[in-house]
Amino acid sequence: MVQYNFKKITVVPNGKDFVDIILSRTQRQTPTVVHKGYAISRLRQFYMRKVKYTQQNFHDKLSTIIDEFPRLDDIHPFYGDLLHVLYNKDHYKLALGQINTARNLIGKIAKDYVKLLKYGDSLYRCKCLKVAALGRMCTVLKRVGPSLAYLEQVRQHMARLPSIDPNTRTILICGYPNVGKSSFINKITRADVDVQPYAFTTKSLFVGHTDYKYLRYQVIDTPGILDRPFEDRNIIEMCSITALAHLRAAILFFLDISGSCGYTIAQQAALFHSIKSLFMNKPLIIVCNKTDLQPLDGISEEDMKLVMEMKSEALKTVIGQGGEATSDDSVLLTMSTLTEDGVISVKNAACERLLDQRVEVKMKSKKINDCLNRFHVAIPKPRDQKERPPCIPQAVLEAKAKEAAEKEKRKTEKDLENENGGAGVYSMNLRKHYILANDEWKEDILPEILDGHNVYDFIDPDILQRVEELEREEGIRQAEEENDEFEIDGAELTPEQQAALAEIRKKKSLLIQEHRIKKSNAESRPTVPRKFDKDKQYTSERMGRQLSSLGLDPSLAIQRMRSRSVSRRGRKRDRSPEGADGGDRMDVDGDTPGKKQRLSRSRSRSRSVSRPPHEVVPGEGLKDSAQKIKAIKLAKKSVKKRNKQARRGEADRVIPTLRPKHLFSGKRSTGKTDRR
Amino acid sequence: MRLEKCWFCSSTVYPGHGIQFVRNDAKIFRFCRSKCHKNFKMKRNPRKVKWTKAYRRVHGKDMTQDSTFEFERKRNRPERYDRNLAETVLKAIPKIDKIRVTREERHHKNRMKGKKEKLQKEAAKELEQSISLVKAPSALQKDPSLTLPQKIKVSVSQRQSEDNNAMEE
Repeated sequence: MVQYNFKKITVVPNGKDFVDIILSRTQRQTPTVVHKGYAISRLRQFYMRKVKYTQQNFHDKLSTIIDEFPRLDDIHPFYGDLLHVLYNKDHYKLALGQINTARNLIGKIAKDYVKLLKYGDSLYRCKCLKVAALGRMCTVLKRVGPSLAYLEQVRQHMARLPSIDPNTRTILICGYPNVGKSSFINKITRADVDVQPYAFTTKSLFVGHTDYKYLRYQVIDTPGILDRPFEDRNIIEMCSITALAHLRAAILFFLDISGSCGYTIAQQAALFHSIKSLFMNKPLIIVCNKTDLQPLDGISEEDMKLVMEMKSEALKTVIGQGGEATSDDSVLLTMSTLTEDGVISVKNAACERLLDQRVEVKMKSKKINDCLNRFHVAIPKPRDQKERPPCIPQAVLEAKAKEAAEKEKRKTEKDLENENGGAGVYSMNLRKHYILANDEWKEDILPEILDGHNVYDFIDPDILQRVEELEREEGIRQAEEENDEFEIDGAELTPEQQAALAEIRKKKSLLIQEHRIKKSNAESRPTVPRKFDKDKQYTSERMGRQLSSLGLDPSLAIQRMRSRSVSRRGRKRDRSPEGADGGDRMDVDGDTPGKKQRLSRSRSRSRSVSRPPHEVVPGEGLKDSAQKIKAIKLAKKSVKKRNKQARRGEADRVIPTLRPKHLFSGKRSTGKTDRR
Repeated sequence: MRLEKCWFCSSTVYPGHGIQFVRNDAKIFRFCRSKCHKNFKMKRNPRKVKWTKAYRRVHGKDMTQDSTFEFERKRNRPERYDRNLAETVLKAIPKIDKIRVTREERHHKNRMKGKKEKLQKEAAKELEQSISLVKAPSALQKDPSLTLPQKIKVSVSQRQSEDNNAMEE
């Protein structure tokens, strides 16, 4: 339906934006690079493409605008009139016409300039032509700017119009301002119309939907109408008049009996008579509202007379319809929206009347056959004249009656909840209705977890039996186990043998450890022959110990070792103090040993002796102590000057590069490079 | 509230612990801690990871089939509450536990049965083969028992010790 497209009209940009959009699109979507040296045909083509592209875009966008805005003659007259009332038909048409002319003009401009471009002879000339073409197109659009702004306003307002379907079942509410029309619609539908004490609170049409007999009815609330000559009416009133004129709906004319709207019944009756021409062929109901303030029977004589007049008018419409002048209750109704008294009956009456009328019209129309073909009520053919009413057994009737009585007497859980403090305070006892073998068990709490097991996994009706079986089985197994408990003990090792085994294992692990150490420092260990034994590993004492631990007598071996060994130093001298040949000595007091011997033997047995600096260690590479002393002196001399001048030596820390490049350059893959 | 089993290591997951992963085919994997979860994400097979229960069962380290396992089964149909039944169940659970534990111990013992003998044989063999590390062959000849030799005392005189010093220096 056309009315729903009002919300789907695309936004109309204003003049400047429009131009910006089109030009930027041309900029982006066409090739941009061109050089003087290209072939002339290529240059022409380049610029022609731009001009045509711009024209095409303008054409497309303007066409969408023109197409999407509804044509006032093509839509339902209700909407046509409504739009005319709101936006002025002429202005609307003019605006759209201007857009159309703009479109045509732009097309013409493009055509002309393309023709000129065909004969452009240089890059510069082609470019100027293109600039001129685009410029003219944009000027055309700028001129049309105010129309675009107007159309945008119209579009925004149109999108917010209520979506009224002019062909469906509609109920229209009209009357003076402040009589209670909006309150009524708030009561029967989910619409939320503003209700205020001042007149003209409702300024436009409002739609609500309500249901009756499984059908959906539109209820339209109109702004109040004042009793004025037609030409003097303002836009708001014109909206309601349009609605009244064009929509085939049931009309509820609201009457405020109490006069609290500020207008007397006389005035309202006058209004009624002036617009009764609009009620032709429409089911009309006069609704007297605000009966809580003033009941219908309590009004004055004259007012009563006026009301009766209106009623007779309304009756005429009923008679005009179908000739059932039976109940005048369906023509004149009273209600009060404040106390909600009679609201539903008014709605039902209106819906009923409208439905009847519509059905009648449909019946008379040509389409009735199509409708009738769609459904068929099958009635069984009566066999004889015997009456066969529905048969309900007595017990069922009684039960139904009892249930009805019970329903009123029974206390529901909700009542209980309300008694005990409401929803947040009281929570119902869900266990109350449990069906158990023994009612005492209703409040029992069974633990869910026991010793790391889920109790629910163990629940089994015959668990007792199975456990007994299991225990019996276990007992049997245990007995069997006791019978073949002993294990044949093999030959156990004696404690001495165990000690030997422990020793063996220790030695093996030591060997492995040593080997591992040797392997790890193999590169840096000096290969010195064993006879230059710096750490004094290979001593005769040690050998003796090891041999004796193996169970051999080491004394012979030690003796042999001693007799063959060559003492490197001071053997001859060492012998003399033992008192072998005292007279050979040159020294007078033969007992005093020389300085060297004293030093070397002073605390030999009890403490180790540190080496004097001149002593040559075999394996070092120096010939004798004199050589060693010289070497030491040379070394010291070479370092003296540097030390005196406090200069950096070999052992002092050196940083070869103060700022290595790999630490001070390069970006990080994530994060900042604040710190280096 | 239920105690679940960790999919990877089969230990119990208490409420408030672990992570549950639901795969696109709606299979739920529960893990007791991030160690199991991370192993799962690495696509490791719990049957090959030594410390899991699955490995131990597959390789026969722990008991697999036993009637005590039949007692604990996830039942989907709830039973109507019966106080006497509840009492018996609560009493039975520790009993079943105890029996299960004893059976597992028995299983372990059976598994370890021949160990002692094997160790003894190995020890004897090692002793015989490597006795030469602690006992010289001549000492062994003299005293063929596989024990440590008696330590021989070496008398050291004064003179010899001084000579020793000289040589060593």
